[in-house]
Amino acid sequence: MLEEIKKTLNEFNAEIKKVNSSAELENVRIKYLGRRGVLSQLFDDFKKITSNDKPIIGKTLNQAKIEITGKFNQLQEMILSNSNSTDSYIDLSLPGRKSFVGSKHIITQTLDEVRAIFKGLGFSIYEGPELESDYNNFGALNFPDDHPARDMQDTFFVSEKFLLRTHTSPVQIRVMQEKKPPLRAIMPGKVYRNESLSAKSYCLFHQVEGLLVDTDVTFAELKGTLVSFAQQLYGKDVKYRFRASFFPFTEPSAEVDIWWQQQGKEGRWLEILGCGMVDPNVLMNVGIDPEKYVGYAFGMGVERMALLKYGIDDIRLLFDNDLRFLKQFISV
Amino acid sequence: MKISLNWLNDYIDLSGTTIAEISDKLTSAGLEIEEIIDQRKIFNNIVVGYVKEKQMHPNADKLTLCKVSDGQNVFNVICGAPNVDTGQKIPFAKIGATIPENNFKIAKVKIRGEVSEGMICSERELGISDNHDGIMVLSERAEVGKNLSDELGLNDVILDINVTPNRSDALSHIGVARDLSAIFNKQLKIPEIKFTESDNNINKLASVEILNYIDCPRYFAKVVTDVRINESPEWLKKKLLNVGLRPINNIVDITNFVLYETGQPLHAFDLDLLANKKIIVRNEKEKVKFTTLDDKEREITSTDLMICDGKCSVAVAGVMGGKNSEVTINTKNILIESAYFNPSAIRKTSKRLGLSTDASYRFERGVDPSIAPYAANRAAQLMRELTGGTIAKDSIDIYPKKIIPRKVSLRFNRITRILGFEIPKESIQQILKNLQFNIFKNVNSQIEVEVPTFRPDIEREIDLIEEVARIYGYDKIPPVNKISITLEERVYQNTFDDKLRDIMVSLGFFEIVSNSLQKEETANKFGTAINVLNPKSYEMASVRTSLIPGMLITIKKNLNVQEKNLRFFEIGQIFNRIKDGKLIDFSDFIEESKLLIGITGKAVESEWYEKDRQFDFYDLKESVEQTLEFFFTNIKCIEKFYKDGNDLFEYYFEKEFNGKKIGIGGKIKKEILDYFDITQDVYVFDFNLDILKQIELPIKKYQELLKYPKVIRDFAIIIDKKTDNSDVMKFILKNSLNVLKNIKLFDIFESESLGKDVKSLAFQLEFWNSEKTLTEEEVDKYFWDMIEKTKNKFNAKLRGE
Repeated sequence: MLEEIKKTLNEFNAEIKKVNSSAELENVRIKYLGRRGVLSQLFDDFKKITSNDKPIIGKTLNQAKIEITGKFNQLQEMILSNSNSTDSYIDLSLPGRKSFVGSKHIITQTLDEVRAIFKGLGFSIYEGPELESDYNNFGALNFPDDHPARDMQDTFFVSEKFLLRTHTSPVQIRVMQEKKPPLRAIMPGKVYRNESLSAKSYCLFHQVEGLLVDTDVTFAELKGTLVSFAQQLYGKDVKYRFRASFFPFTEPSAEVDIWWQQQGKEGRWLEILGCGMVDPNVLMNVGIDPEKYVGYAFGMGVERMALLKYGIDDIRLLFDNDLRFLKQFISV
Repeated sequence: MKISLNWLNDYIDLSGTTIAEISDKLTSAGLEIEEIIDQRKIFNNIVVGYVKEKQMHPNADKLTLCKVSDGQNVFNVICGAPNVDTGQKIPFAKIGATIPENNFKIAKVKIRGEVSEGMICSERELGISDNHDGIMVLSERAEVGKNLSDELGLNDVILDINVTPNRSDALSHIGVARDLSAIFNKQLKIPEIKFTESDNNINKLASVEILNYIDCPRYFAKVVTDVRINESPEWLKKKLLNVGLRPINNIVDITNFVLYETGQPLHAFDLDLLANKKIIVRNEKEKVKFTTLDDKEREITSTDLMICDGKCSVAVAGVMGGKNSEVTINTKNILIESAYFNPSAIRKTSKRLGLSTDASYRFERGVDPSIAPYAANRAAQLMRELTGGTIAKDSIDIYPKKIIPRKVSLRFNRITRILGFEIPKESIQQILKNLQFNIFKNVNSQIEVEVPTFRPDIEREIDLIEEVARIYGYDKIPPVNKISITLEERVYQNTFDDKLRDIMVSLGFFEIVSNSLQKEETANKFGTAINVLNPKSYEMASVRTSLIPGMLITIKKNLNVQEKNLRFFEIGQIFNRIKDGKLIDFSDFIEESKLLIGITGKAVESEWYEKDRQFDFYDLKESVEQTLEFFFTNIKCIEKFYKDGNDLFEYYFEKEFNGKKIGIGGKIKKEILDYFDITQDVYVFDFNLDILKQIELPIKKYQELLKYPKVIRDFAIIIDKKTDNSDVMKFILKNSLNVLKNIKLFDIFESESLGKDVKSLAFQLEFWNSEKTLTEEEVDKYFWDMIEKTKNKFNAKLRGE
């Protein structure tokens, strides 16, 4: 009987190779799988067997049935799908099948642009915690206690000693405490200001700060670096100005404005970043000799740049995460 | 701070310089001009008009119909003010004018059927005062047709300057003029004081005692007797109005004038109201109630420095005077206080009382301790001139520990080293001289400088370098176009988060950035909240303890605008308290980095080729799987399933690696969704990035491509419905030889025809041997053997058997 089963399988395999139409396939079905088909016949025969090899024969027969059924089903599917495509009308104007597309938030996209520029200038990227000590956020950065300079940044305090960082400058302190100069780093991250929510201000925003400490750094080099940055971001003809300002952690300090002109509107100076030479007190606070090393630092707000770039007039839109808004900024 | 250009001209000759030039140069030197208010432009097209006729409006009870002449033409003007009348001269805004109060543009309009060709203005509408009782009526002598700014003498230019906290010296007209004198290299003119004093010595009229020298290093007083309280003359009132101050009476106005001229806050006491004619500068021993000039009762504590008379407090030192010693219409004799207070003491009191005044603003930034006599004398001189008072002989000056000017040296080559640019030595010295620094020693390579006491911000060489650079002009320092880079052993550029973002975007997720501040109740629902001590609103009282609330709030907002099918992710920090009580150390709380993914709504929307389908748990699982796959090819995590859920999830699962929890996620419980008012299922998974970051990634190695054919076998078993697929798979893998390389579940099927409480699981198995070709016979041997074992183990049947 084993011989017979093998023969049946061989015949089946040979026959299905020739099948081309569903009519031919139906014939094969009737012949092998029909109620009076070959397989059914074999099972009938099997029942009559009484010899010792009945289990082996049974197992072989089962395998044969599975194989024949499987191959038959496969072939049937193929023939069905073929006939579909040849018989039906192809409408090439149908929309294509959709795939999912996501996007990075425009804050991230803007941040990426800024980072790409500084990557090109050899800056490393460092990050630090958002819940910071008062010392790292203010003290180490040369903000005296009880000084009005602290009012420049409305602060969320969570205790006398801890606060939500108001700038990413504490990361400068952390980097300088960990590493010896030369240092060349940018520090992106979330920062907090205790302000009421409005179209113009939000209680948090993202900042990128930069720090460079080396033996031969100058204000002219700071200017050169930032001018290059502004040109890469706003075009090579960008009109800019450096004006004196005050930050406790830099001296001399400056703010950089660019001339912003929109079509049909009056041009105006727009502040894009603050910068300066690292104050010697800050260097001394982290154990760097200010006679030997000089540093510069700069910082800018990412949201402001994004609002400017995309012509968004309400900062809260950035934090509403309305899908209709997010979908406008799908990009790679 | 508002600075009047006309007033500035008293101290520096600015002829020949344009407003734009002054504004640009001051801004460049660090005194940023935020706004230029040109009064002549404000009153463009607003002239003196003459009311020729007045009738009632035919269709409105409260309106009148006026005929107004501008000297050339007569216009119909509708007016609503009760006090308008024929024969008045009034401020008339013609067509084209802009009303200063609200930027309303005047055009020809019809009001209830009558034409109006302009507007008669009130003082408030003109931005002159708060008075809006009726229209402003001008002097009878006013010239009809004349521009209103000329008529009122409002032809000044006001500069609104943003003075940074280090520049206390610039909080006055003389201070700003001093910077201008350095910028334009022009002479600064300080008004000379000359007056005659009576024979009556001040020491017979008053006395001063300081009990707290630390907070009050200097107290200077001057007495003026027999003053007549009155309105100030027009020139004085106008000066004050232009810088935004309200004229009160001649005495108070003079102290304000001197404040805005010199930067020294003064206080005028009614000498006769001071008990024992005595001033004592001291602290109260205990809490007392004290009523300040603004009629508010305030609680004073022992840390607040007070000015007292022989009996009680009469002023909060450096902040505000008291009601009990206020100058009134009956005041005859004045004691002028011109003191120097410790900046930090004044700041503390001002902060504690929530009271910031022109005086406290300056004292907390540091006024000039040396200017006290000049300012008091200046006020005395003006009181004599404007109030007819008599200046008592001599002055009281308690100043036991004189503050002496600092000495700082400046190396020329250090300037060049810092700036990268050489400023000529002559320019450096000229700038410092113009800023009134005294160069007392000059050797070849460096100078020794005495810093004037009005510059408490200048302590070190670097401070002088900034002074020189800002006046010289940052724009004159050329930017270099070549920078040298010290080569480092490693440049850290791509962060872990960057990679994660790329993965999530490639999986079709949208990045969100949500507010890290939330309600305390919400924060405590998801963790142990850290509260903000000074929140702006209760909506933002705590720092987030989880990214989940932000995700759910975002989903809710989107549902509100009919965006219902959402796949979001957020990367951010969360904060949880570890210890109760005040946070005093980094170990009292924990800040963690998280990635949260969230899905809700339809995974697939109806298309011509496909039916729609809701997101479910298995979509979430796949996204989690894929995310991990990108990072950790070949690293196997342990999965744990929790069908019964917890406080947050209806059911959930966890991923673990080396015993550390990588993440947790599942279907959000209905109670939680109700809290956020969400009515559709939401699935989230919360990755712990701090753990993920610690996993050392294996270095990817090339694996040889398979040279021999795979053998593929399918089979389906009918099994108890409550059997977990993973158990079956695990069993199959365990009971096969190593040529079984892959197993995949490709169908689950339930039907009456299969039987009750059973299901069919269909698997596809891949066998191969990387060393040699595997024959069908070899595979079959393993295959059928494994099927038998599986059947026995799970009491299952082979489908089709």
